[in-house]
Amino acid sequence: MFIYKRRMSRRKFLRLGGAGFAGAVLLGSAGCGGEGESEEAIGWQAIPGYSLQAPDENRVEYIQNAISSWEQSSGYTIDPLVTSSNVNEAMALLLEQASQSRAPDLAMVDSYIFPRFYEYVRPVGDYLGGISLDDYFPFIREGMSSPDGEVRGMQFTTDVRVMYYRRDLIPTPPSSWGELLQTGRDLLSEDENLTPYLFPAGRDEATVTTSLFPYFWAQGGELVDGEGNPVFGEGENREAMLDSLGFIQECVESGITPNRVTEFGQETDLNGDVASGQTAMFLGGNWQVGLLKEIIGAEEFVSQWAVAPIPSMEGGDTHSTTAGGWIWGVFTEDEAKQEAGVDFLKYAFVDDAGMAGWCNVGGYLPPRESVFGFSDYQGNEYTDTFRDHLNRYARNRPAAESYQNISTALQVAVGQVVSGDTSPEQALETAVSSVQG
Amino acid sequence: MRRHDCYEERGRKEGLVRVFFGSPLPWLLPLAAILGATFIYPIFEIARLSFTDASLVGGEYSYTLESYLSLFWSPYFANMLKVTAVFVSFSVVFQMLFGLLIALAVDRGARMGLKTSIVTRTAVLSAWAIPGVIIGIIWSILYEQSAAGILNYVLGSIGLSVPFLSDPQVALASVTVANIWRGTAFSMILLYAGLQTLPEDVMEAARVDGANAWQRLTRVVLPLLAPILLINLIVVSIETFNTFDMVLALTGGGPGRSTEVVALSIYNQIFQQFDLGQGAATAVLLLTINLLMTFVYVGFLERKEEVG
Repeated sequence: MFIYKRRMSRRKFLRLGGAGFAGAVLLGSAGCGGEGESEEAIGWQAIPGYSLQAPDENRVEYIQNAISSWEQSSGYTIDPLVTSSNVNEAMALLLEQASQSRAPDLAMVDSYIFPRFYEYVRPVGDYLGGISLDDYFPFIREGMSSPDGEVRGMQFTTDVRVMYYRRDLIPTPPSSWGELLQTGRDLLSEDENLTPYLFPAGRDEATVTTSLFPYFWAQGGELVDGEGNPVFGEGENREAMLDSLGFIQECVESGITPNRVTEFGQETDLNGDVASGQTAMFLGGNWQVGLLKEIIGAEEFVSQWAVAPIPSMEGGDTHSTTAGGWIWGVFTEDEAKQEAGVDFLKYAFVDDAGMAGWCNVGGYLPPRESVFGFSDYQGNEYTDTFRDHLNRYARNRPAAESYQNISTALQVAVGQVVSGDTSPEQALETAVSSVQG
Repeated sequence: MRRHDCYEERGRKEGLVRVFFGSPLPWLLPLAAILGATFIYPIFEIARLSFTDASLVGGEYSYTLESYLSLFWSPYFANMLKVTAVFVSFSVVFQMLFGLLIALAVDRGARMGLKTSIVTRTAVLSAWAIPGVIIGIIWSILYEQSAAGILNYVLGSIGLSVPFLSDPQVALASVTVANIWRGTAFSMILLYAGLQTLPEDVMEAARVDGANAWQRLTRVVLPLLAPILLINLIVVSIETFNTFDMVLALTGGGPGRSTEVVALSIYNQIFQQFDLGQGAATAVLLLTINLLMTFVYVGFLERKEEVG
């Protein structure tokens, strides 16, 4: 049997290799042309928890059903894209993509930072149909429209921070700082194993959004001026910030708050302590209700825990709280895709049924007031109170570029005060120096 | 005549091509290209960005020294260096010390034919294989100050409660201990490998000359291991300087900035505060520290070898 053996010369090998590499590059460039290259495909980007990669099966099922049923009637397909679970990183990346016209057709944006996207997102007012801007909570309305009056985004979830307290231990929730300190001391004198008051004070966003800003804003404090420059260390703002940090210090020094709260970076980090049955009051978010019901048991949690506004310096009705949520932004310049994209977002997340459906699945609060009364929206035992707080006390973080520096500096300040490392004055001084560079 | 020139020219060209293909250059060029693209270019970019006010979210930027000035004048700069110095020095010393002790014990066990030495080696190595973030979470469960914290639960039985992560000084010690646990395995493996290369006749000669265990360790084993110890020192130092994932998961740099090492500060500046310029300036500072330390170590070894 004749076997033809052919040896390949090095030159031929290199030539073939080069051709193969060039071919691969060509194929690669053809195949990696960005999101939604096909005419019918709409790139839709979400963070993992809001995507088909969500760890919760109910969410995945909801999104799968929404996509498939919408695709059947639209003639378009949805190309699901997932971004980083680190919100800061995800937003930074999206801003960079948007500034280079590389953003996906549709993408979710953290509501407080949305004003920084105004110049990149397309107006969606013409596609909203029966959805009225007036139906949104006032603090949300401001963020959805750019200064020229155009509706630039569609918020589809919101959240709010509150004070949770034990009904069986505290008949009337404290409204002012003085009342809170007194309630805590009384509880401690009755049971020294009890932890009267907890809040996040670690190196994370919850330390400022949940444990500091509500105190500060309730006194009329402002973090930035109209141009986005940090002003929390100036004039009356400085006084308000010093009072807020001073109150946090007093909570620790009086013994009602342990300094181990610096271990809590997020609100959900408190869940273990809450479940232990030794906590009387804590600052947290509305999204903890579902988690704590699962941990403690729905009936027991509802019978034990109630919610109230986060105590303020003066008490009465001078409360404030931080709210947030997510907005859909439309980045595609193709008008047909804009219309189809908005139609998909309305169907799955924004119109009455979509918003109610997604908020039910994820345990979020609807940003539109009418959805609270929509028959499909389920809510929970605390929903009416959350809605009331959204109407009366809620505000969003500033969208200024300096905000990230301010947040980090103040997270550090709270941590230093709680750990007893520095006084409120020194901590504030350092925070001001940090943001000024 | 002209045809002759032409042949001569062609011959010269062919000669050059032959010299080129006969040299190591065609083999080294792809490697040089890969190194250039993956090491040199990123370092150049970091150095360039450190002289700008660039933001991670894009937009226009200008060239300035402001990144370095604001870094050096920031109220936390000195503290960050102090925290890093404590973290790195204690981590390196104890990782190498414990690594050496475990390596000697495992080596001795293997020579005695103990099967458990393999188990010990594997168990220690598993600490090195676990990702830093997971180690951070494991240690945060151990260190938790509430009743759910494992260490405080044990200490509670004798009436003690230690603020492992909430007291600034204790938090730095806690983070360092976790890092020592994590890095000891690498030192152990490296030094164990080094112990296998020691000449048996030299060890035997020391025994015959009546050297006891301590004398054999300090006068024979350690001098012979010196090159491995130096490599260990360099690698562990650089690795510890660059550690941020475990600290991020364990404390996030807190309370305050009490555990914010340089590498974590770089991460925070770039990915939390979007300040690419200052983050790059801090990265250049870290690179400079690493390079200086490496030069010092290598210089020290060369001088020692010359003296030897």
